[in-house]
Amino acid sequence: MADLTPVSSWTPADVQHFARRAGFGLSPEEASLLQLQAPGTAIDAWIDGSGAAYDPAAFNAALGTADVVAEPLVAANTSTAGSVDVPAVPAPHAFLVEGPDAWRNSLNTAQALCLWRMQFNPYAFQERMALFWHNLFATGFHKVNNAALMLKQIQLFRSLGLGRFDDLLVAVSKDPAMGIWLDSVLNNASGSNIPNENYAREVLELYSLGADNGYNQTDITQLARALSGWSFTFAEADYIANPANPTQKTAADGRFKVYDGSAITPDTRLWSGTARTASYSMHGTGTISLFGQTLDITTTANGWAKGENALRSILSARGVNCAQFLAKRLLLHFVTPAYSAQDLSDVAAMIQAANFDLRAVMKTLLKSRYFFDPANQYALIEGPISWLVRGARALCPSLAVGGAQAPKAFPAWRLLTNNATTLDQAGMKLLDPSGPNGWKEHAAWLNSNTMRYRTKLAAALALGEARSYNGTSYPLFPAAVTTGWFPTAPTSAQGVLDRLLALLQPGPIPASVSAAWLSALWPTAFTWDATSQTKARELAFLILCSPSGQLY
Amino acid sequence: MTTRREFIQTLGATGAALAGLSACGGGGKGSGGGGTSGQPPTPLPAAPILVVVNIDGGYDWLNVMPPNAGANLSVYQAKRATLGITDPALLTDLGSGAALNKDLTGLDQLHGLGRVAWIPGIGMPNPNLSHFTSIDLWGQGAAVPAGTGWLGRFADAAFNPAGDVLRGLTVTSDLPVMLKGSTRSFVSITGAGGYVFPAYLLSGSAVPDAATLEAGWGAALNAPSPDAATQAAAQAGKLFFDAQNNTAFGAGGSLTARTPSVPYPGDAAYPVTRLNGAALSSSLSGQFKLIAQMIAAGLPAQVYFSRLGGWDTHSNQAVDHPNLQRTLGGSIKAFYDDLASITTPSGNAQDRVMILAYSEFGRRVQENNGGTDHGTAGLSFCVGKAVKGGLYGAYPDLSNLDANGNMKFTTDFRSLYATVLDRWLGQVTAATDGLLGTSYPRLGFL
Repeated sequence: MADLTPVSSWTPADVQHFARRAGFGLSPEEASLLQLQAPGTAIDAWIDGSGAAYDPAAFNAALGTADVVAEPLVAANTSTAGSVDVPAVPAPHAFLVEGPDAWRNSLNTAQALCLWRMQFNPYAFQERMALFWHNLFATGFHKVNNAALMLKQIQLFRSLGLGRFDDLLVAVSKDPAMGIWLDSVLNNASGSNIPNENYAREVLELYSLGADNGYNQTDITQLARALSGWSFTFAEADYIANPANPTQKTAADGRFKVYDGSAITPDTRLWSGTARTASYSMHGTGTISLFGQTLDITTTANGWAKGENALRSILSARGVNCAQFLAKRLLLHFVTPAYSAQDLSDVAAMIQAANFDLRAVMKTLLKSRYFFDPANQYALIEGPISWLVRGARALCPSLAVGGAQAPKAFPAWRLLTNNATTLDQAGMKLLDPSGPNGWKEHAAWLNSNTMRYRTKLAAALALGEARSYNGTSYPLFPAAVTTGWFPTAPTSAQGVLDRLLALLQPGPIPASVSAAWLSALWPTAFTWDATSQTKARELAFLILCSPSGQLY
Repeated sequence: MTTRREFIQTLGATGAALAGLSACGGGGKGSGGGGTSGQPPTPLPAAPILVVVNIDGGYDWLNVMPPNAGANLSVYQAKRATLGITDPALLTDLGSGAALNKDLTGLDQLHGLGRVAWIPGIGMPNPNLSHFTSIDLWGQGAAVPAGTGWLGRFADAAFNPAGDVLRGLTVTSDLPVMLKGSTRSFVSITGAGGYVFPAYLLSGSAVPDAATLEAGWGAALNAPSPDAATQAAAQAGKLFFDAQNNTAFGAGGSLTARTPSVPYPGDAAYPVTRLNGAALSSSLSGQFKLIAQMIAAGLPAQVYFSRLGGWDTHSNQAVDHPNLQRTLGGSIKAFYDDLASITTPSGNAQDRVMILAYSEFGRRVQENNGGTDHGTAGLSFCVGKAVKGGLYGAYPDLSNLDANGNMKFTTDFRSLYATVLDRWLGQVTAATDGLLGTSYPRLGFL
């Protein structure tokens, strides 16, 4: 059984296990400091993002600089409806790697912003949960074709990712990017129309219950009726013309709307981009039968949107199945792929007992003896994005350090994502999963191709690779070996290895392997000179590429 | 659960022969199938190559091969009032009440040559209409999920675990379950150039990083570690190292840098355009080009895997579907034509290659507003000079749908696998049956 009682004490190694899974790692110094607190207190603060350690002031200030490019830095043009202004970029501007229209629907810029946030947000758990939900409610840019709406969805995960699961499910169902992604905006069940069942199917199969777990085809069709007409409008101010393609319009924001025949105010637009002057009806009316219950989808209830009661009935009518579904996803992402049926049942029961309050669920799970069980440490293979971000956090200057490198690596992320191939081929095209089932986790992260590209990313991270843009060379991952990695000069090759292992935290490495590395790199007497510092980078590369380096 | 008895009854009701399903097609003499009067098939090659094309997303094959006569036509017209393909100008008659949509560009010509075996109504018992469940089952090729794929198990049996690293390849960046074996997996290669470590690691570095790294991986792989995660990581990395060390690659890990250079002519002049007249380029033609390069380079691969996504047409099908078909058909035709110009030590590439196309399911017969929702039975097809062209298995009866309005399958998808394993990949009958868990009737196109 999964012992879900909380641990009462923890070691620095336990702290690092927690920080790897619930964030993007901590340095050994930070871990030792955190270990001084009782685990319950420390984990509560970590999950809540409360307390001095999680002060977002410096982070938000950096986000607000023009260097980073605020999201989305656009404003309505007052004279031409539907056009937007993008501010001119003041010169000199050493770190901006794109022109003034950078934000106009650029997936790569949006990816860079997400990565930058993951690297520097002091509230790391928020980003980790956003990544988790992005995988679970996987929505892809290649169909949404709108970077602003994709970022809006990620922000939804940041703000509601620790609320109640039914509230999150409802919010995602009203999210514009999701509406486009799974055809909700085209789901017309008024009159004799046949509803488009794409979203309803995936709600049950991928987002709440799992395949063959408590529903049938009739439930799908009925839920599709309940959610018909769910779409969004947007204001003139959020209307963005793509400068690269004038016929292509996007919206920076969207407001949920049930198209049920009610009048639409003239200052709003339908997603189709066509101004509406007449009422529009796509929502089905009457009653549906879902999970054997009869539900009225014509009226609103409890202040809910029309049909919303059907979505909420998933938890009330199929709570056991939903808790089981969530438990599987949480265990695979946060604990271990090797959970037993009893473990699953225990965690599912805990989720139900917590009434699907995700904050309470995560606190219980991540404080538990089960989570800290040594058998579960390094039991997972890490995904390429969090693996990369963790490496960047370990090896690169923090937001508070290195004024000359302000704004600290946004250009690096932008240059990296500009060469989109590397991240995509490493197996996780951020903001653009190929399908609504997201990315498979654990062992599925690794194949010969993804490992090939991890070696490329590891080289960029450890070996000081730079890339040129407009005649200027930028270090992809600015890192100072002597001051950043080794504030105390190592006195032996073993000392270099020990420090890098403490920073990068790979899983256990066979002694014969690390001995072979050291004898290849330092066959003769050790001196901490420029040559050794270059070799320290190569050793970091070897650790990052090793099998142990993929575990966390 | 469709029973064996029901399965046979379905076949009987549609007039198909029971024995091996082979009598209804093949070589233009098919009684129940369309048959073609094209050139006779060539003998099976000594060194066959299988190129799998995954039509990803569940394609609406009912609009690719719509009924054009008989009782099925009226059902089709009623349920496909706006999306149905009924204009004879858009269709090539295949006989047996079925026609081929000319948007599947070039396949009508290959059919005319007798080079295409069509298997309409291919599917599985108890489909749950989930893409992901169905993809898993098609990949595994076994009724009970086993975690390995039918081609992965073939690799386990046929490939040498200590070598043969390039004998199975996918040109997709992932590793589909279909290719997963328990001892020997497939390599993923997405480009012909630079299949190596970052170049500067190999240029002028006094430290033999690559060798050091690889030795570390090998040591980790061989360590008596009970840790499954480490083992999985080590296997993935080792496969990459083994592949990039293979002498099949030239300098800098590049096929194109080999001396003499890879003689792939490539980019056959084949006009394929979108509905709006724009030129069509696709990831699939790029994948085929890479496969052709690898064949031309003499890579020892026996199985290649490729994929074209985008077929989940719940909406906007009237525009998206023709473009997808043009991409699929046009790319296959160009690839097939290009293969003729590649000479390998084991013979001309066009003689050696068979293309197998499949999708996880078809779409529902009744259209929704502008699209089609998830269905059941699909259409697989095989293209090659050794193929006996025609229709195999029964076209589904559109007036006999299941409770959800979906077609009932007429040929188990594992019959296709059994046929390919036996008669193309050279497995003996017992081995094939072992790989698939039981014996399935063979189809007569090989």
